[in-house]
Parts: sequence; structure tokens; C-alpha cells
Amino acid sequence: MVFNSYTFIVFFLVMMGLYNLPISWKSRKIILLLGSYLFYAAWNPPFILLLWLSTVVDFFVGRALYTQENKAKKKLLLVVSLIGNLGMLCFFKYGGFLLDNFVLLVNALGMDYHPAKPNIILPAGISFYTFTTLCYTIDMYKKESKPVKSMLDFSLFVTFFPHLVAGPIVRPPQLAPQFESPKKATAQQIYEGLFLLSLGLFMKVVLADGMLASPADTVFGAQKSLHTLDAWLGVLAFSGQIFFDFAGYSTCAIGVAACMGFTLPENFKYPYAATGFSDFWRRWHITLSAWLRDYLYIPIGGNRKGVFRTYINLMITMLLGGLWHGANWTFVVWGALHGLYLCIEKLMQDRFKKNAVPEDASAALSGWKKNIPTGFFKAMLVFFLVNVTWVFFRAPDFTSAWRLLIAMFSSVTDSIVVLTSLDVLVVTIVITVMVLFHWRMRNTSVLQAAAKMPAWLLGIVWSAMLILLILSQESSGSFIYFQF
Amino acid sequence: MKHTPLRNALLLACGIVLLFLIFWETYLRSTGIGISYDDGPELWTHKRSLVTKEQDRATVFIGSSRNKYDLDIETWRSLTGEDAIQLAFEGTSPMPVLDDLANDHSFKGKLMIDVTEMLLFSTNPEDSRLAKKGLDYYKNITPAQWFSFQVNKPLESQFVFLERDYFSIKALLKRIDIPTRAGMEKEPLFPIDFGRISFDRQNKMSDKFLKEISIQDSVKNIWSYYSRMGAKQPPPTQQSIDSLFQVIQEDVQKITSRGGKVIFVRTPSSGVFLQIEQQIFPREHFWNRILSLTGAPGIHFMDYPEQQLICPEDSHLSPTDAITYTKSLVKVLETEKGWSFPNKIKSN
Repeated sequence: MVFNSYTFIVFFLVMMGLYNLPISWKSRKIILLLGSYLFYAAWNPPFILLLWLSTVVDFFVGRALYTQENKAKKKLLLVVSLIGNLGMLCFFKYGGFLLDNFVLLVNALGMDYHPAKPNIILPAGISFYTFTTLCYTIDMYKKESKPVKSMLDFSLFVTFFPHLVAGPIVRPPQLAPQFESPKKATAQQIYEGLFLLSLGLFMKVVLADGMLASPADTVFGAQKSLHTLDAWLGVLAFSGQIFFDFAGYSTCAIGVAACMGFTLPENFKYPYAATGFSDFWRRWHITLSAWLRDYLYIPIGGNRKGVFRTYINLMITMLLGGLWHGANWTFVVWGALHGLYLCIEKLMQDRFKKNAVPEDASAALSGWKKNIPTGFFKAMLVFFLVNVTWVFFRAPDFTSAWRLLIAMFSSVTDSIVVLTSLDVLVVTIVITVMVLFHWRMRNTSVLQAAAKMPAWLLGIVWSAMLILLILSQESSGSFIYFQF
Repeated sequence: MKHTPLRNALLLACGIVLLFLIFWETYLRSTGIGISYDDGPELWTHKRSLVTKEQDRATVFIGSSRNKYDLDIETWRSLTGEDAIQLAFEGTSPMPVLDDLANDHSFKGKLMIDVTEMLLFSTNPEDSRLAKKGLDYYKNITPAQWFSFQVNKPLESQFVFLERDYFSIKALLKRIDIPTRAGMEKEPLFPIDFGRISFDRQNKMSDKFLKEISIQDSVKNIWSYYSRMGAKQPPPTQQSIDSLFQVIQEDVQKITSRGGKVIFVRTPSSGVFLQIEQQIFPREHFWNRILSLTGAPGIHFMDYPEQQLICPEDSHLSPTDAITYTKSLVKVLETEKGWSFPNKIKSN
């Protein structure tokens, strides 16, 4: 089920009631686990079996990995876990993609091979819970954390409903120990949780679905060359939509968990205020970036094997990060562009370090720099370049992506306008406010900012969000990241 | 006890929200607006799911908005003792739904197809969009979506402000009069009084709509707009029309071969709208052909004087005329088309 539904409101109220019953911690955890399974099964019941399989296999393999002293057997166990987890992901997520590319390849080699199209349904959240279980077994292999003691706690670690379908991707030490001792949310946690839940729903329902989805869909769905303004506004609308959609989900997840006394890691930190690309990835989908860094970039060598290998490793990480988002070459290009940006940024940083100015001159320069908002200009440059990457992320194919890029950067004859005056106005206002808000908030958090506000002002802001939420009534039954 | 800012803010927010909703609901009701249901894929799916369960005591209606305005479901129920499952979509070809019912082997019931020629014989994919969206939702509905609909139903029956088409933020913003961009024609918006929708998916014009000619004219202007837009599309080729007839024939054959009953109905239109329809879709080339090709019976409003009613905006009947029309329809079905309603005696 999704957070932005009546079903979830009822589910959440019932869960809060049952979870706070004066019964043993184990019973409350069982309620939480059953609730989490219900949360998942409410989407497509049969896929709960996959979740069980993944949980059971990784619990036992993880424990064996931790205790096994024989290196060969240990490696074998790790391979079993990797094949199990990644194999499942490959089959459901990349089965059709791999087959399509294989068919293209053999046809290019002159073989006439046309198999039936496989009808594979992607289980919701498989990319997320696979990464959660994978990091557990890898941690066990490297003995970086201790095995979860009980099957119940491990099942909850994997299945805990706020993070199950679209993250934040949790690491074992971040969540598993929280199930060990009885938890009860404090009043402050409940208020903070409800505030975050309201904010997350506002971002998703009002801003992503209500304001930005329609212009983005119109522009990306256009079959003809667009007017430059329409092309740019469509891409900007998508940049806002995907942020509000995904950050909205994460905010809801963190809020719901807080209402039950649990802490989930932060997943977004005003990414459009990033002043560089490494900064961007420290602010956008933080838990995935950290996962890719710790379980892919560093294991393949990171920056420890020379400059050239560092660039190669960065590109591999970002290419695979792109592919994680979807089984399409457009996602690979999206990842490649981000990899390229990171490489160029690193190259420039290395150059600047070599040509560092003397200390006195540096002090004089920094004094001069204080007078001009260089940081904001950098952030705008990053925002501009990130928007170019969103074209590949959202476009259904390369033809559409190229058509849109051409419209963005040149004046096309016979171009058409597809966005209404209202769309132009709404996208311009929402995106401008979003960017300024990100810049203003870049070094703080929403809860810190809320704590500094007088209660009456916070109450008015909160009520405005709730009123707009109730009046929106415009929400898709899914979140963009559910498909990844 | 120390009150945190968040707690006080929450209490204040709840108070403001409650006051706002009371004010908004009271204001809307004071303007004479009543309850109208959101006629999205959720409600359509609910009706579609009744088809197999209730086919022994219900007739399924497919087509476009004319079916939704012209069939008075209460009158139908009282005269036949059976239910009417309304599966028509506004401004949409019934073809996707006909295909779906034809390929649903469990469907062996009675089906009435509204023939609004410019939609039934349309080859423009846009004219099938809503039906495909509804079918997609029906085929992929999750338990969570089903439950949300059950919760939403009683809420929608109580609060006017929950009507998405007119009172959602997006709908309210759309009504702001902003100059149109060069190269774009502003999409006209239907006046709220044109169609209030019941849980049975029946549309009714309000009394205000029936009284005020200017509102009726605004809807006639909308038909002109869609006519202009339609004219920009390439006309369907004879081959595409022939293949459409072929599909209709096959679909009807599938249903009747299982024991189902199919009837085509040409619902009333009038004025300029009717003249254009007669010009583009001459009866002998479309209506007569569809009946002869499928072998299914048909009821054309031009053949029955009591069905030749005047549509206030040229295309749909007023609620009072819908009752007259439905009575005539049932009478023709029983007396001329051999339809019987076994539950009629029990319920009447």
C-alpha cells in the first residue's frame, strides 16, 4: 500500500493502536512484522513469498558467514548469497532487458531469433530490500557487524514497513539493534513523526502529483518538437516532481517510523543546493549513494589504485547505479553522465590543488569571494547540469531524449507549445521556490527549522499543508521509485 | 506540564483545518451544490466487478456520455426489477469495453451499446484513453486500492468538497482566467451544473442548467471546440472503418455465441449536433450496416416519436426527459425486441 491512501491512514491508526498495547515487546514486534507483511501484501499478495525467501535465506547464510572460519567455504557462502539476491533481482528486473539485448545482438550477427516476450511483473521494492539483505550478508562476511540474534528481529530489519518498498536503504547497525530492546515513542517523537508525515504527503500529493506531474508528462509524452520554453519547463517540472515524490516518500517513512519510536537514516538533504556533484550525491538518495560507495566503489578499489583507476571506478559505480534505477539504456546514460560530471569535478579539484595559490593570496581571494555569492552560482550550475541528466532518466527512449535536448538548446522550426499558461506559471513558481528553499535550508534540517519557529507560525504552516493536501485529491497510486 | 512548540502547533493546525473544512463545505452547500461522485477508474472498476456477479438480474450499458445522461437508472430499476450497470465513459469509444466483455468468458448477460457515431467509429486513440485507463485499473487493482475505495465511498457521499473534478486544487486553479499562450487554444471547462454524478454513474443536469440558456450555450460552444479539434485529426480511412466493423461483428458474435444478448441503441441528439452527425455518419452507411453485419437488434430514436426529445445542449437529455426516454426504451425492448425481465413481477 502507499502512504498517500485511505488504506494507509486506517492501517497506520490500527498499527499505532496495536503497537502501543500493554503487552510484551515480543508480541508487539510480531504485530509489527505481521503489519509489515500486510502492508506489502496489500499491493500484490503472491510476492510476499519472495520476501520470505530472501529473509530466510539471508538470515541463515548471514549467520553462517559470520561464524565460518574456513575461507573457501566462507567465499562459497558469499557467492550463494550474491547469486540468490542478485539472481532474483536480475530475473525480475532485468530479465526482459537482457533478453531484448540478446535478441538484438544475435539478430545483428545474422541469426533470425524472435522469442516470445516474457511477461514478468516487477515486485514492488525488490531493488530496495535486495540491497538491504545484501549489505547484511556482506557485513557478515567482513565481520563488520554482529549477526542479528533472532529471526524475528532480522525479519523486521528487512520488512519493517516504513522503509520496505522505497527505502531509505538501511544498514544492519542502523536498524537491527533498535528491535533488541522495548521501544515506545516519546510524545516529541510522535509530534515530529506526524509533522514529517504531513510534510512528506504534502510534497508527494500537492507538489509532485498535483502541480508538477502533469506538465512533466505532457512534455515527455510529446511526439513532436517542442518550443524551447516548453522543453525546459517540462524538464524542470520533472526535476521537481522526482524530488518531491521520492523525498516525500522518504520523509513519510522517517515520520511513520518516528511515531513508533524508531529512527531511520536521512535520505535527502536539499540536493538542489549542492555546489558540486560529489556534494549532490551526499544530498540525493543518500542511503543509496552510501551503499554504492561502501559496497561497490570501495571494494573495486576506490581511489586507492591510482588516478586512472579512480576515474574508472567512479564510472563503473555510476553506470551500475544508473542501471539499478531501471532496465533501460537511458538509465545507463543517466548514470554515465553523472559519472562523467564526478570525474570532471575530481579532475578540476586535483588541478586546483596542484596550482594552489600562496596563503597570503588565498586569504585575499577568500575575502573577495565573500562579497559574491559564488556558492549559489555553483549550485545553479549543478542544478542546470543535473536537469540535463533528468532528460535521459525520464525519457522513454533515446529518440525522445534527443528531441527534447535539441528543443532545450536550439530554436526548432515548426515547434509546438504544449504547456498552458497555468502550467508555465505553476512550474515557474514551484521550481523557483524549491530552489531558493533548498539553498536557504542547505545547512540545516526541517525539524531544526521547525523547532526555531514560534508555535503559532508553525501551526499555520502545518495547517496550510494539511488543507492543501485534503483539497488536492490528486494523487497517483504509486511513487516513481516503486518501479526501481 | 511543558508544552512543546510542535504539540501546540499540531493543536492549532487541527483547529484551523477543521474550521476551514466546515467553512468550505458550508459555503459550497449554500451555493446549491450537492453531492457528486468522482467518476474515475475506481468507481468504474466497482461497477465492472458487478458484471459477472449480477448478470442474471442486470443489464450492462456501454457507450459514451449519452448513455450516462439518457438512461434513468431508477426508472429502469422500477420498470424492469433489474439493475443497470453503467459502464459508459464520457467522450469515449465503447470499443475497449466491448472487447473486454467479449473476451470475458464469464459474461453471458444482456448488453446495450450506445451508438454515438463519432466516438464508436473513431480511430483516434485519444478517444479510447479513458476506457483503457479504467480497464487497466480494473485488471490490476490491488487489495489496498479496493480498500481505499470502500473508505472513500461513505466520505464522498457526505462531503461536497471531495468532488475532484470541480473542487480539487488543480480544478480550482484551472478556473482562473489567465491569457492563453500564443499557439494554444484554451481547453474549455464544462460548467458544474452540466453534470452531477450519482453513485450509479448517472449524470444529471441541474435545475439551474435547465433554466439558464447561457450555460447551455457554453456547453454547445464546447461541442464546437471539440468539433474543431476533431477536424484537425486526419479522417479515418475506409479500411480502418471496415476493420472496426469487423471487430464489432466479432465481439458481438463472441457474446451472443455464449448466450448473451446484445442490442445497439442510438440515443437522441438534436439541433446542429444532430445535423452534423447525420451529415458525417449517414444512417444507411453506419447504423444500418452495423445491424446487418452483427445481426443484433437496434433501437434508433428516430424510429420512435416518443424518443425524439430535445436535448438542452443538443447532445444529452434532461433528467425529466431521461425518465421518458427510459420508459420508452423498456417498452420497445419488451414489445418489439423480445427482451423479458423475469424479476419484474417479483419486485413490482
